[in-house]
Amino acid sequence: MTILPDVSSSAPGPATTGAQPDHRGSWIPSGAMITTRFMELRKRRGLMIALMLVTVGIPTVFLAIRLLLHAFAPHTYGPAGGYVIYSALVSGVLYVFGFIVAATLGATAGSADLGEGMFRHLVVTGRSRLALYLARIPAGLAIIVPLVAVGFTIVCAVCVFAAPTTLSYQGVNVPIGLSSAGLQTWASDHADEVICNFAIRIGPSTPNASTLNAVLNSVPCGNGPGNGPGSGIANGQPQPSQTQIRGAASLIARMNYSGYARQFLYPSNSLMIKSGLWLELEAVIGFIVGLGLGSLIGQRTVAVIMMIVLEVVLTPILSRARIPHLSNLQRAVVGLATAHLSPGGLPVFGGGGGGPGGDGGNAGLLPESTTVAVCVIVAWLVGWTILGAWRMITRDA
Amino acid sequence: MSTATLSGSSDQRATESQWAVETHGLTKRFGENVAVNGVELLIPRGCAFGYLGPNGAGKTTLIRVLLGLTQADAGTMSLLGYSVPRHRAAALARVGAIVDEPRFHGHLTGRQNLRLLAAARERAARDRIDPSLERVGILHRADDRISTYSMGMRQRLGVAACLIGDPQLLILDEPMNGLDPAGMQDMREMILSLVAEGRTVVLSSHLLDEVERTCDAVAIVDRGNVIRQGPISELLAGASLVLEVDCSDPDRARALVAATAIGAADGSEVTAEPTGLGLTLPAGTGREVVAEVNRLLVDGGISVYRLQVVQASLESWFLQVTSRLGESQ
Repeated sequence: MTILPDVSSSAPGPATTGAQPDHRGSWIPSGAMITTRFMELRKRRGLMIALMLVTVGIPTVFLAIRLLLHAFAPHTYGPAGGYVIYSALVSGVLYVFGFIVAATLGATAGSADLGEGMFRHLVVTGRSRLALYLARIPAGLAIIVPLVAVGFTIVCAVCVFAAPTTLSYQGVNVPIGLSSAGLQTWASDHADEVICNFAIRIGPSTPNASTLNAVLNSVPCGNGPGNGPGSGIANGQPQPSQTQIRGAASLIARMNYSGYARQFLYPSNSLMIKSGLWLELEAVIGFIVGLGLGSLIGQRTVAVIMMIVLEVVLTPILSRARIPHLSNLQRAVVGLATAHLSPGGLPVFGGGGGGPGGDGGNAGLLPESTTVAVCVIVAWLVGWTILGAWRMITRDA
Repeated sequence: MSTATLSGSSDQRATESQWAVETHGLTKRFGENVAVNGVELLIPRGCAFGYLGPNGAGKTTLIRVLLGLTQADAGTMSLLGYSVPRHRAAALARVGAIVDEPRFHGHLTGRQNLRLLAAARERAARDRIDPSLERVGILHRADDRISTYSMGMRQRLGVAACLIGDPQLLILDEPMNGLDPAGMQDMREMILSLVAEGRTVVLSSHLLDEVERTCDAVAIVDRGNVIRQGPISELLAGASLVLEVDCSDPDRARALVAATAIGAADGSEVTAEPTGLGLTLPAGTGREVVAEVNRLLVDGGISVYRLQVVQASLESWFLQVTSRLGESQ
């Protein structure tokens, strides 16, 4: 039996307060939602310290130590900056760790409300769950993008302003910016150094191969057998003339010019801009994927571990291995796609082949066109956003 | 069209509804377990309404379904006249709720947590943060981190979180949990003051005494079913009449009463106690029966030292109702 109360006396007038139509059913997050979400993330002291340590602290400490060592013992320790240091920090530290910390921030943003009991309060406001999810994207990016930018700016500044003044190519100090003819002229004036240190490839088509062999066998490189082209013992053969030695050095310099031409004392403006954007892209991907994964599984720790495994273990393996019949699946790995978009000359983690004297950052990677790489990245960004938002919309609060 | 932007006729229908909460055949299952079983619930506007039930009765599940925290499997419902989930956003714009234990971001202060919630509400909600904190008595701790709050303070903050939306309907799930006696008194007074302002408060609780002191009407829920609902006074009028009698010879007194029409009536129970008798008489028994029992005992030569009608409480009535239900099932 249902007994109904007498309501005639207790029912108040119509609800008027707060009855104005608003847009809380809209999927577009308001500015206030974004700024308060930014505040919520920014106030996580431990997380913020970890983010700053990794994106700014590690490169800063590394460069500061190098600056100090070079200042106190310049003959023992080389300059703190330069192209080599730049490429190592950008592609070795900021690229990998930037992704991981961005993923950590994303996973936190995606799971914290749920884990800390605020999700229920937010849902009860009547605000669209999709808007609640989307508000986290600009809020999180407003944290991670500037942090990566600060770390990268410090790296750029030190690498440019504390760059070496002479170029060390294969252990030989060579003037920077020489033309092919200029390098050959310089090589003929420093024949012994060039012959002993520069890479030499002698094939059937090499001009004057016999003379070159004779020169290589005659030039003593000073540190015993195996360290230099020849032992200096002529074995009864006639000693090559000084002109022949200079000519051989010039020939070797011509062979090495393509490698030399890719050497810089410090990164160019163009390379810095491109690699800065590339790092930010990697951080954005890390955040968006972390956010989606965190929202999907509702846990931060598991999501972060999965992201680290993806970045540090799976991506290097899948980027380099040639697995029959699965190469298209390998190309769907986002790390491979971003590696293919790396600015020229920068080696990538697990990709190899880059750096000074290398063949660029993509040499060891599974081949992939730029179009496919872009499509893979877009698919990851959109796909994880849809997955995370879907789970947030359908989840019991 | 956003769900919160309603047509004029929808708003009109909503504001004309006399019910703050209305459900018909509402059902929620978790696998084989039916947590909410075809609930028919009508909660009038402007009252304090108790929603009572033993642990596991389905109280919180019903609240979660009403608020859209989980989806119903069957049935219809409306909040403040707005059909839910169709006009959920518009309905929840006028609703504040605490579900289960109120939890917040521990690394933020009380005020910052409310700012986070206010941002998801209308613009004016932000201006209500300080007044809400003041009303629940924690304005002085508003800038402290939640991790330093006691359970009772979190309960108060939960109520403040409800109030920033200036709600017409408040749904409070066990709001007395963690409160000391003074805090419970404050909460009771606040609920009454909210009702006095014309708001509707739905109080889900197992503290029957608190509900009896605070609410005008109640619904009893057990095993997912609403088994009784109505004004407390009407419900208690349907409760059994209990008499306690202190007398000189309890065994003879019991035999004497049991042999009469009073003791033999359907629903009557006569028990001998060490110091007297206990009589449970059917609902609707008039007060003249008390005098009749007294006369019977005195005429039988038994000295009567005390004869008292025990006022039926919500607790005793609740136990009667739920135990009867348990026996019948």
